[in-house]
Amino acid sequence: MESVLKNSELRRSAIIRWRLTFRGVIFLAAAVVFFCFSVLPVGYMLALSLIDERGDFGLENYRTLLAFDSRQRGLLLNSAALGFGAASLSTVIGVPLGLLLARGEFAFKRFWRFGLVVPLVIPPYIFALSWILLLGGLVPGFVYSVFGTVAILGLCFYPLPMLATEAALRSVDGRMEEAALLAAPPFRVFWRITLPLVAPVVSAAFLIVFVLSVAEFGVPGLLRVRVYTTEVFTAFAALYDFGAATALAVPASLVTLAAAVFVAKIIGEKTLVGRRQSSSALNMTSGGSRLVLLAAGMIFVATCLLPAVVLLSEAFRIRNLSSVVLESGAAIANSLLLSAIGATLVIAVSVILGYARGRAGTNWNWLADVVFVVIFAVPSTVVGVGIIGLWNRGGLEMVYTSQAIIVVGYLARFTPVAALILGGIVRQIPYSIEEAAAISGASWPRIFGRIVLPNVRNGIVGTWLIIFIFAFGELGTTLLVAPPGETTLPVRIYTIIANTPPSEVAALALLQISFVLLPLAFLILWRSREKRTA
Amino acid sequence: MAKPGEENRVSESPFLRIVGVSKSFGGRAILKNLSLEVAQGESVVLVGPSGCGKTTLLRMIAGLETPDAGEIYLDGECVAAGGQNLVPPFVRRIGFVFQDLALWTHLTVEGNLRFVLSSRKVPKTEHAKRIEEMLSLVRMKGFAEKYPGKLSGGEQQRVALARALIGGSRLLLLDEPLSSLDADLRGELRDELIRIQKRLRITTVSVTHDEAEARVLADRIVKLKDGEIESITIVKPEIR
Repeated sequence: MESVLKNSELRRSAIIRWRLTFRGVIFLAAAVVFFCFSVLPVGYMLALSLIDERGDFGLENYRTLLAFDSRQRGLLLNSAALGFGAASLSTVIGVPLGLLLARGEFAFKRFWRFGLVVPLVIPPYIFALSWILLLGGLVPGFVYSVFGTVAILGLCFYPLPMLATEAALRSVDGRMEEAALLAAPPFRVFWRITLPLVAPVVSAAFLIVFVLSVAEFGVPGLLRVRVYTTEVFTAFAALYDFGAATALAVPASLVTLAAAVFVAKIIGEKTLVGRRQSSSALNMTSGGSRLVLLAAGMIFVATCLLPAVVLLSEAFRIRNLSSVVLESGAAIANSLLLSAIGATLVIAVSVILGYARGRAGTNWNWLADVVFVVIFAVPSTVVGVGIIGLWNRGGLEMVYTSQAIIVVGYLARFTPVAALILGGIVRQIPYSIEEAAAISGASWPRIFGRIVLPNVRNGIVGTWLIIFIFAFGELGTTLLVAPPGETTLPVRIYTIIANTPPSEVAALALLQISFVLLPLAFLILWRSREKRTA
Repeated sequence: MAKPGEENRVSESPFLRIVGVSKSFGGRAILKNLSLEVAQGESVVLVGPSGCGKTTLLRMIAGLETPDAGEIYLDGECVAAGGQNLVPPFVRRIGFVFQDLALWTHLTVEGNLRFVLSSRKVPKTEHAKRIEEMLSLVRMKGFAEKYPGKLSGGEQQRVALARALIGGSRLLLLDEPLSSLDADLRGELRDELIRIQKRLRITTVSVTHDEAEARVLADRIVKLKDGEIESITIVKPEIR
């Protein structure tokens, strides 16, 4: 009897071990893919920067950087101004709008949210293009300057602080505000209780915009503002100097790393996924709503209507629209197909990474967030150079010389952000539902497939669409890695700007916008249908 | 046990007077023409099944909900009438202990108490003294610098009570204040509540599911059912 018991116990512990091992293997596989595709290109670039032309180990490539001459000072100043300026402008615009969306009462709220989010999904260089067409001839001194770049990036990125503020305000426990309302008038409650509670998330959004602006390549490239990302591109594309290109990427990367650590520490276990709770206590008055709504209307005109009208009016001058579209047919088809494949692969990997991050029970969770944020924020041109260095070698030609290398670029750039989003979504699901399934005897794959995935289904669909939109607009990495003869729509637009009539460029830009807006509209419609069903 | 109507009048000048109050949410009547009086220094406990309107009544007294009809008088002053709140919550000088406590997690224990004092325009010179007195009353001396997240459930409960009382509140509302605690701590804090209420002689309206707890805390137990008073039980007649 005793031996029978012992045997059954042994068998049980073997099964438990097998389950843990199987889960471990899946986690390890996802981590290896993430490491090889996302981390290794950046690490490879860093390693290469420490080897000089003769193949010796040293800081030769950093000599110019460390000399800190006037060129280096200019680069640092421009990059810093771009980061701080765009982050400040986007926060000043985004926070009141987030307040309006969370606490204001007005008609057509869903339409407003949709309209105000649009700038985030349109590639920034399309904005830059429309502003060049609108003001480039009138006030070139402003448009082609750091100020113009700051204005465009601030207007592109304000939806981030806006959405962060809205989500944070929605997740503030309404009871805390009610408890304060028993002692203080609404304005004081908002100032002393509500704002401090949402401040960490708003600060994190500020830092994220800062990092994205420092890492931006398309807008400063178009507006001829010299920053680290454009210099990296020039160092590689014009001079084919790996070492110098990487050394130039280091200052921006260090700033990114510092900002990412701050963001991860500030947000901690919070996520930007809003929890709806009763907080009717502090709604905006109709007067306040009207004022901010007026400002929102002006922002909407500046960021959506005006660029669209400018591009439309240019595009109408085309004599033969169909030939322009046909000439770019391959680029459009490539963009659609490769973005869909890229988004699917990114989701397949990041759903496992996000789950592992969401369920990890260590005090070092924030470190995973730091890695995700840092890798995501590495300038696209740096990632591109890293991928070329890593994949341009014997035995990998099948990938390097085909469209697959573009998908590799998408995996490298967007796996971290998808893992961050999905990790946040997994954390919203109580672990007890998995424990209940485990107690009932379900294996981990079964728990994951039958319990976890159905609960994050909406999040997976939403994240896929976000990654598709990002991939469809990707420029910096694709510009460098795309093999000869293969192109995508953003690369085609960027490369023909200089030597093609503006009307043709505007038509392609409009096409790009509509391809991005369609999935966004689908996402919003689908979510509202889900809500109604729920 | 008394019939409703006979026992809901307490004196000629009750401290809290609720007259014919009704409230609906989404077409569903939560309170139906409810009237109740509470004497100065009295402890009334509302009991009844979930959804019978106990918490809604408490929130209307505090001014966090507006009655659809009826009137609410506080110390003789009409604070709500004609479907409107006439006096905003922060002017009513009411202390409220929420079921989930709603402590301000970004402020220390002292910060939580200081916010109420400065909001109620208590001179700054008095803050330290009053905070010390209040923390000593709820037996939380030495916890001033701690953040709520670092306190145990019982300690958080005491801080919530201190916050509700510190601004010189004239009425204390308790929404199932002990529901989240284990049995031992519940008993301890229940005794503490009775001690503090007796010492301050503050008028109290509490909500609970537990009738045994209600018998210990209450001078009068008001049983609600479907938004109406089903019965009123006088537990300690001497208070009246």
